[in-house]
Parts: sequence; structure tokens; C-alpha cells
Amino acid sequence: MAFFRRGKDGGREPWFAVRRDLSTKRASILSLASFALPLAIWAGVSYLPFVWHPDIRLELSADREDVTTVYIAGDRVSKEFFPTFTDAVRKQNASVEDQLKTDAPLGGATESSIRRSNKKILRHLAPVLIANKRIDESQTKDDEIIYQAWKDIARGTWRPDSPALTEENLSIIQRNWRAMETVSDTYDSDNFISVPLISLIPQGKSANPDYLPSPDQVAKSGIKVFTAPAEGDRPSMMQRVGHSIRIVFGGFLLAAIIGVPIGVLCGTYSVFSKLVEPFTDFFRYMPAPTFSTLLVAIFLANDAPKIALVFVGTFFQLVLVVSNTTRRLELPLLEAAQTLGANQWQLITKVVIPGILPNLYNDLRILLGWAWTWLVIAELIGVKSGLTEFIETQGRFRNFDMVYPVIILIGLIGFFTDQILALLRGIIFPYTEEGAAASANPFIKALLFVPRWFKDAVDQRLPHDFSEKSSTPSQA
Amino acid sequence: MIPPSLETIDYREQSPEVKDRFNRLKERPVVLSVENLGKTFPTTDGTVTALKGVDFEVFRREFMCVIGPSGCGKSTLIRILAGLETESSGQVLLDGNPVAGPGPDRGMVFQSYTLFPWLTVKQNVMFGPKMAGRSGASVEGEARQWIDMVGLSQFENSFPHQLSGGMKQRVAIARALANQPRILLMDEPFGALDAQTRAQMQNYLLQIWRNLDITILFITHDLDEAVFLADRILVLKANPGEVDEIIEVPVPRPRRLDQTITPEFIATKHRINQLIHPDDEGGNDTLPFARMTAEGDDVE
Repeated sequence: MAFFRRGKDGGREPWFAVRRDLSTKRASILSLASFALPLAIWAGVSYLPFVWHPDIRLELSADREDVTTVYIAGDRVSKEFFPTFTDAVRKQNASVEDQLKTDAPLGGATESSIRRSNKKILRHLAPVLIANKRIDESQTKDDEIIYQAWKDIARGTWRPDSPALTEENLSIIQRNWRAMETVSDTYDSDNFISVPLISLIPQGKSANPDYLPSPDQVAKSGIKVFTAPAEGDRPSMMQRVGHSIRIVFGGFLLAAIIGVPIGVLCGTYSVFSKLVEPFTDFFRYMPAPTFSTLLVAIFLANDAPKIALVFVGTFFQLVLVVSNTTRRLELPLLEAAQTLGANQWQLITKVVIPGILPNLYNDLRILLGWAWTWLVIAELIGVKSGLTEFIETQGRFRNFDMVYPVIILIGLIGFFTDQILALLRGIIFPYTEEGAAASANPFIKALLFVPRWFKDAVDQRLPHDFSEKSSTPSQA
Repeated sequence: MIPPSLETIDYREQSPEVKDRFNRLKERPVVLSVENLGKTFPTTDGTVTALKGVDFEVFRREFMCVIGPSGCGKSTLIRILAGLETESSGQVLLDGNPVAGPGPDRGMVFQSYTLFPWLTVKQNVMFGPKMAGRSGASVEGEARQWIDMVGLSQFENSFPHQLSGGMKQRVAIARALANQPRILLMDEPFGALDAQTRAQMQNYLLQIWRNLDITILFITHDLDEAVFLADRILVLKANPGEVDEIIEVPVPRPRRLDQTITPEFIATKHRINQLIHPDDEGGNDTLPFARMTAEGDDVE
């Protein structure tokens, strides 16, 4: 069976062995692939025009008569709608040509209105000129330069190539120029063509919807977003990150400082458990966001209600999780400690707390993840702030290429915090199995060198037994 | 079934040396005295009597084993002695004083491994003295001695997860002894170990016991273990847990492994077996299902 074929990398272990660890090499390859695959899918959808691309991103647009919705270059229209759009413009051009052949070529319009619409037609070329770096974004209404560009294109002395113009549009430019050059060779606002010109036909490239920008767009916008300095009351991205982290950690630490002792007491004594847990259990089913208006009313503006929201969202879970972890501490350990003479206080400080610490650490790691999930809602209440405010604002302008980098950043902060904390666990708790595994890992060995060296250095300088020497401080 | 030749030996017959040993043993002061001890548990089906009218004494430096069928309350008994459970009636006296709650005067070794995983071997052994408020070099020195005694000096800075099961229990014994308790309570301490390790541990325990002024109350369900270790064996019967008989083991000391096939050893074992399994006629319990293989094979 192909599924159970032996792997090639010298290993006789099958790839698909039920609940068996893979070799380090295979595991690393797969871990890399777990990130590479989604990225590859994203890139594939973005760069392969045949994969999805349901829209046309306009490089060149046109106005249509009697239509209130105006599309400008850069907008997206669906592939179904695009032919309707171009046909409407072509029809409009045809009717202009027909009108010119009649006895009343102006069709009753005034010369000034025709001049105005002719100017508009010329300016429709501007986005192509910008894309081809002929003009910059401030010159879209510089009729003199645009007039010159029309002339150059019509005479063939300059040819835009990215994007290039369609043959149809090139012939429209030549046709319009023949009419324009009869009036003036250069732009002259007093002597501007007053015979109707025909419009450029909208052209564009197939594209994905704006909510799915391509990886390179996101990367470029990301660099722009993260390097932009603070401006007035618009904070820089790093200031926003700092603000968001302060809210998450503020709420989380507050919840931990109050919640851990309560949880430990509940897990140790049934008295506290029965007194605290039923209500806590009930309270945690009330979603934290439902308290947002209340929290704003109580804590007013600024960060206080936000931190309070993270606190409300984390605290009740934390108490229950910690009490459960405390209860999971093996009873025989507590009994052994009692037969060794530990009193109640010693039982908690010398047995319960050190005993649950590795698991407590893991709990807090997971709860920190919870706290992160409340961040977005917390930043939306009261005065919007931090990363979420940026996402909200840019999202409203449909600048999704700016939104993605921030979303990814939040993910990365959370992910790396968690990974680092997981790594540290083995170092902090060398007596756990993970600790044993961690000390065997060459990377962690290298990392461990510094704290070990520090510890040894401290050990050598400090009296060996703190409790004994601390009673005679004069010795130091 | 024991060979017919051994049935002639009565487990109550003691050689003069053994008899003399028991006479001297009973002259020693009583360390632990259990008087009319009873324990009932409330359950949904009414109260269950786990122990009833349990009466016995343990003399100083005696090694007493408690054995009985499963459900006879031997664990409940030792937990009451340790102070981890409260008795329903009667009382427990340690050196003549009633005990209430757990205390360092009664050390306990559990069947499950109860070393504190976050402490090294040495720190585990120092735990009791530290709880008593002692600290410093003397405690550490004592701890080293105890660790030395159970033969684990090389491992004093190891964490429990680096030790084998037998080593963990040796540390547990050292840790209990470091408090210098009046009596060491052992609740099937070798139950989780493999047969070889268990034999080795029994041997170690006898050595420790011989060299220290320590009284041991040892719970087991293993007949060989009980007879090999004990001076006297307290046999409990089940439903309710009552003292069936206190057997004086006629096997001379010091004990060696080859004594396990001597007539007095086997006779004692046989007696306990009779007490614990009164209905078992020589291991002839049969299962109710019919033969399922072809007749005439050479299994029997």
C-alpha cells in the first residue's frame, strides 16, 4: 500500500504510522510546509489569472451618460458586467459619430459644455500616464501635459507599455487627435476643441476582489504602514502595537494577579470552591463584549474600560481553569506532605503552588491567547485605539492591503509570545518531561547557557542558604 | 497445595530462639496502641462498616505486617493511623498519647510515588526537617546521611523523574525517616514494583530496620512479603474489617531469601492463606465454562 510505504530518508519508519513521532527531519519539513502551503495557495490565487480572478481592475475608465455610478481607474467591476460597460461606451461613441454626420453636429449642446466634456475625455487617459510614469499623481488635471501626451501617442512618438493601450483605444486617440490638431497643436484653454470627441473604451486586467490583495501588495503596503512615522494625533504603527500590548497584558495581568490566588484556594479547599465557583461558572457565560457600554460608563474614556473588558473576558475563565489545575495535583503528594509535618500554610506555599506551577504556567499561556482575542473588541469600545482603530479605518476605505499586514502582525505577536513561553517552560521547569527534552535540544542548550552561567555566578557570590543567612544580615 | 510432609508442622511451634525473641519483644514498651477502632463510611446505600473493633499493639522496634483480603480495610486502617482519615470510634495511641491528624511523628510511605517532582532527591529528604523550621548545613548533612543509607548518594541532585521506581521508593523511605518518626507506616510500598526489585527492596528495608531504632507497620497483600518481613502479622478479615488473628512468624532472624522454602515459612503462609481464602480448597476454584478444544491433546 502506497500510504504505508517506507520513507526514503534512510528511515524505515512509515510516514503514516498511527500516533508515532516522525523523525526530526520529517517533522521540520512538515512544520515548514504548514506555513509554506497557505502562502503558496495565496500566491497561486493571486498570480495565476486562471485560478479565480472574478473581477476586472480598470486601467482606464469612462463616463457613461445617464449613469450615476462612476467607475474610475483602479476600481474593480465584475467580469460579467465589464462587457456591458464597454458596449455602453462604444454605443455612446457611435451616437456621437452619427450626430456629427447630421446637420446639427452639436446636437443642441452648448460649446462650453462640449469643451468641458472633451476635457474630461482627455483626462481619462491620466491613470495610464501615471502608471507609465509619464506624469505623477498631482498632475491628473494638468491639461497641458495630458494634451501633449495625446499628441505623442497619436503621432507614435511615445507608446505607453505598462499598461499598453488597446488597438481600439490607440485608434480612438488618433481619431480624436486629428480633430484636436485642426484647432490647436498645443493645449490652449481659450482655443479648445468644441466639436464632440469620442470616449476611450474602458480597459482593464482580470483581478481578484479588493478584499484579496496579492502577497506582494500586502508586503509593500506592510512596509509602508510599519515605517510611516507618527503624524499629529495619528500614532506610528509601533506606538499602536505598544498600546495594544499594554491593553492585553494590563487586563491579563490584572486577571492573573487576582484570579490565580482565588483559583488556588478554590482548588485546595472545598469551602472556597463551593462559595466561588458556581457564580463564576454562571458569570463566564455572559459574553464580555456585552459589558462594553457598561464598562465605558463606569471607567469612562481612555484605556481603563478596554483593560476592564480584557479582564472580564479572562478573569472568570482563569479562576475556573486554575482551580481545576489545582485540583488535578495528585492528592498523595498533599497527603505525603502532611505526614511529613507540613501545616496548612506550608501545604499551600511549599506543595500546592510549586506542584501546580508547570501546569499553571501552561494555563496562563492559553489564557493569554484568550486575552488576545478580546483585544479587538476592547479597542473598539469607547475611543477607538491601537491596531484595531487602524484596521477599522483602513477597512472602511477598503484599503485591505493595509489591513492584512496588521492582522498578520497581531497573529505573529500572539504566536511568537506563545512559542517563546512554551520554549521557556522547559527551561523554567527542568524537572518536567518537557524540561528533560528541552535540555537535550542543542538550540535550547545554547540558550540555556546564559541563565545557567548567571545562576552559577549568583550562587558563587551569594550565601548558599538564604533563610539561614538572612537572619544575620550583619554578616554581609 | 503444600507437600504432605510439611503439613505436620504447626505454624505456632516456635524454636527456643524464636520463642525467646518474642518474649523479649513483648517486654518492650508499646509504641502504637489501637483500641477498639471502628470506621464507617456513609454511602447512598446506607453506611458501610470498614473497620470494627480493631485492637492491637505494636512494640518498639517491632516489624508488623497487616494483611487481609481486598476490601478488608487495611488501607483505611493505616490512613487512620497516619491521621489522614478520622476514626468513627475507638482511639489510636502513640506512646500513650491519642493522635489527631497527620504529624511528623508517624512517617508514611505510600504505594504511589509521592516524591515532590520539583525538588531534587536531597531537597525531598530535607522537606520534613524544613517544615519543622530547621534549616542550614546540619539538615543538609543529615539528609546526605539518609540518602547514603538508601544507597543513592550519586543521585542526591537528581530529580525524581530521573529515578527508577525502586529508587523513588528508597528516597521516599529516606524522606520519611529524616523526620525521625516514632513509627514508619508503609502502605503497600513495593506494590508497584517488579518482582526482582521488590525482593531487593524487602532486603534493603530489613537492613534499614535492623540498623535503626524504628518501628514499622507494613501493609501488604503479598503473603511471601508479609512472612519474609514481619515479626508478627495482623490478619484482617473483610466485611466488616476485624482482626482475624495475629500470627507470630516462627521464621528466625536475620531473614534470608533461602528461608522462604523452610517448613515454618510455608506453614505460616499456609495458615494465612487459610484465613484469607477460607473457601478455597487448595486452589481448586474452577471457571464455569466448558472445554473448547479438541479432546486428546497433550496439555494435561
